[in-house]
Amino acid sequence: MPLFKALSLKLTIALCAVTLIQPISAGQTSISSLSDEELIQQYRERAQYLLDQTVALTDPTDLSAGGMFHLAVNLHEGANLEWVKARLITANQPPAGAMFWMIPMVLFMQIAQDIENETGTPALTDDEKAFIRILWKSYFPYRGDTENHWIMYYVSQYLVAEMTPDGGPELWYNGKSSAENMAEAREYIEDWIKITTSYGQGEYDSPNYIEEYTRPMALLAGWAKDPVLRKKGKMMMDYVLLDYAVENINGLYGGAHSRVYPRFLVQPSLSAAASHGWLIFGQGDYLSSGGNMMIALSGYTPPPILLRIAHDRDNPYVHRELKRTRWRLRNAGPEAFDIGGMTTIPVYKYSYVHKDFILGSSQGGLLQPIQQQTWSLLWHEDKPSGISNTMFGVQSYSSPFEGTMYFSTDWDTVTDLISRSKVDYDLEDKLEGGSPYEQVAQYQAALIALYDIPEGTRFPLIHTYFSRDLKNRVEDSSGWIFSQGGPTYIAYRPLAPGAWKPVDWTDSLKKGLGGYFSATANPKSGFEPLVGGSESYVSYDLKNGYIVQVASSSDFDSYEAFQAAVNALPLEYSMKPTPTVTFTSLDGAVLTAEYGKLFSVDGKADDLAAWPLFDGPFAQAERESESLEIIHDDERYLLDFKNARTETTNSSAK
Amino acid sequence: MKTLLSSLLLLSFAALPLAASGSESEPKLFAALAMTKSQKASPLPTDSGVFLYDNEAQRWRRFGPSIQQVNSLASDPSNPAHLFLACGNGIVRSQDGGTSWRMVTGWRESDITKIVVDPTNGQNVYASSAWGVIISKDGGDTWIAANQGLVEKLVKSIVIDHLNPNRLLVATTAGLFESNDQAQSWSQVSVPTNDAILGLDRNQSDPDLWIAGTEGSGVIVSKDNGKTWQSTAPALAQANIYGITTNHANSQAMAAGGWGKGLWVSNDGGNTWTDRSAGLPSKNISKTTFDQASKNRLWVSTFEEGTFYTDDMGKTWRTDDIIKPGAGGSILGAYVIDLGFVSVSK
Repeated sequence: MPLFKALSLKLTIALCAVTLIQPISAGQTSISSLSDEELIQQYRERAQYLLDQTVALTDPTDLSAGGMFHLAVNLHEGANLEWVKARLITANQPPAGAMFWMIPMVLFMQIAQDIENETGTPALTDDEKAFIRILWKSYFPYRGDTENHWIMYYVSQYLVAEMTPDGGPELWYNGKSSAENMAEAREYIEDWIKITTSYGQGEYDSPNYIEEYTRPMALLAGWAKDPVLRKKGKMMMDYVLLDYAVENINGLYGGAHSRVYPRFLVQPSLSAAASHGWLIFGQGDYLSSGGNMMIALSGYTPPPILLRIAHDRDNPYVHRELKRTRWRLRNAGPEAFDIGGMTTIPVYKYSYVHKDFILGSSQGGLLQPIQQQTWSLLWHEDKPSGISNTMFGVQSYSSPFEGTMYFSTDWDTVTDLISRSKVDYDLEDKLEGGSPYEQVAQYQAALIALYDIPEGTRFPLIHTYFSRDLKNRVEDSSGWIFSQGGPTYIAYRPLAPGAWKPVDWTDSLKKGLGGYFSATANPKSGFEPLVGGSESYVSYDLKNGYIVQVASSSDFDSYEAFQAAVNALPLEYSMKPTPTVTFTSLDGAVLTAEYGKLFSVDGKADDLAAWPLFDGPFAQAERESESLEIIHDDERYLLDFKNARTETTNSSAK
Repeated sequence: MKTLLSSLLLLSFAALPLAASGSESEPKLFAALAMTKSQKASPLPTDSGVFLYDNEAQRWRRFGPSIQQVNSLASDPSNPAHLFLACGNGIVRSQDGGTSWRMVTGWRESDITKIVVDPTNGQNVYASSAWGVIISKDGGDTWIAANQGLVEKLVKSIVIDHLNPNRLLVATTAGLFESNDQAQSWSQVSVPTNDAILGLDRNQSDPDLWIAGTEGSGVIVSKDNGKTWQSTAPALAQANIYGITTNHANSQAMAAGGWGKGLWVSNDGGNTWTDRSAGLPSKNISKTTFDQASKNRLWVSTFEEGTFYTDDMGKTWRTDDIIKPGAGGSILGAYVIDLGFVSVSK
């Protein structure tokens, strides 16, 4: 068959399949009518669709494209096998990417082993196996410097060691035996699980880095021979996905985030979390990702309770979480505490989740280097693809103080070297990042952000993102700026003068820096398609702040009624000597925020010491509990990591 | 397939460590580096590792495995076939002069900055790291943390007193600390700054002479074996000093290099200092060291702009570090994290 006909056929099949796999409709009614078996069956259909799509879109004539995830899928499906074997070589000359190379390579090896075990026929020749073994001897991967790097590195090392349990040091790049590597890797994995389930992740709730955790956990869940580690891998998959499900709105990850790249900030539907939302929860649009391929191949099946939680937005709720910062090397500050000799501080997350929006925040400060998102608003879109359905604020901060807090690089080079990869780090119109001069507080659908920026700060400004997809913007004489995002009304009250600028007013991102936005005319990844037309509200006052009050349009007779209600809310504020606000929210709560002091609601201050690990209608966990109770209606699912045990009660599976 | 396999085998051998040339143990110049100048829109340097300078060929040659983030190289003075790489991954050791390597630390040890070996007992190995000090009493087979008394654990460098190997000094972000019990405990040394100490050197011919570079307070020296310290080089008083060195053949000669300050030298034991940056392409200095073979030669690495040497205390500078397209041998464009001399034998 001529190539173009073959490709055309594949595309036709793919398009047909798209129409067959529909997302589960949002809303309690539709999801609650499905049994566990039906939810699992639908999940498996999506997983198979993903595998079929991956195969269908493989070009077997191209030996320059296709990563190890794609090879693993094709090998698993018995498709394009000549290409798989040839591409195995070209994709690894030379190997690169450290743990990003290790994870999909282990997946490929496991798939090959599975085929051999199941059929009795080797999927790879002896030469091909030798090729792979030489890679593990000759390529010395860097262990990396982030939490996701380490867990990917050690899970990979563990599973390869399990595949070669009697292997001597001659097999390995690091000169250790398989037994030594397995023991070391296992100890790290267990330690990571214990810290995460006791104090929260350091690299928490990242819309793009979520798959750097689901990839290794799916590997463990799918292939670890050790039953305890296999079980814990499955449990950590559930844990990470629950963490996402409770702050999910139609397949998008809302709230505050430890790390997020600009393209995912402005279009959340492009993130790995969104791709997981489609596969795991049946939400949003199909989006291919390596993490999804891994999950689909691993045999991991999400507990149906997670799907029910992700879809259940009948009643608005507050969800709180305790996380922690990345390990701090110096200048850890007064809140610092040690875990196993490493220093961190707590991160207090608060999200208000409504069927129409998620407003979520952390307390501000330098909680995570470079890519922190302190607060965000996402509003519901039935079809979020291509829509910038978000709002967030930034105090543009970059400094060697932050860099050396988290990296051992020298003071004078750390900002430069960070900017070699995170190219917007040192830009005044950057879209993400924490600031030591930012303090954020939230109660339900109202948020107050205050800033006290010292003279001489590199970028003495704050800015708030106003998407091009906001409608009906009104700058009221009261000082409030009103707008509408989908079904959500938004009121933004700047507390100091500002001005409108186009997003990326330094013209840096639109040049395609760092792959965040393509400089090409690609209709899906160029700057203009993603974010062109959006604006930033920029203020240069050093003592500064704003209030965000959000409401569902269903709560008001009209947009004008919302504006009138907000205009009537009591508000007192002063910026000097210290930014201070007292604001009565639409809920009638009196919110008091003063920069440098604890936030209070109706005169009662936040009790940060009592902030639990998870606290909301769908999840409960105490600090240092090493457990998580997942709740939906009368259904309970307990993850008990101390005992590597799960417990399910009242599942509809019965 | 066989062709492809053969090419990978070649690749494999290319990635294996190059053996030290010859069996002599004369100290060799090494540079632990990351090639950052061409690193654009990427988290990865284009190359990294340790390179040894081949005096005869006047070119740099890779030494040891190619690993991202290698910060330093050390050898056992009593057995220079025992080598230690200070890596982001931990410590990688060779016991055969660099023919084979093994990672000897586990997951708890990371971001090693410097390693020293007891000159009287090669079983005692000490390492500084971003997470504190670790020590080995069995030549590097096993390691334990040794941080008692340290205020902050980000340790930039460690020096062992070659006359009293029970004594060590460490440069930390919370100041200078000293141990007199083989790193079992540390006590803070009074120095004229509260700033971080970035580097430390002790003169071999005049053991009373110590020199340190600081983050924001320039250069400090001690002339009574580390008991008391004074600021020196007033022109550098507020500089971040990343390179400091004393000439072990002439204790009156010392040099210091900082960010934006260039390279300064003293010929009178630190009483007066002279800017010797003219002729260097950059005033951003990452490391400097006196040559241990050529007694009056001083080496300096600029940030990404090359490594140079002088035989006249900086009046004129030379480099063999030029781009030789296709031939390798250059470390031009490197961020040299450590520059020093190490004895290597088979």
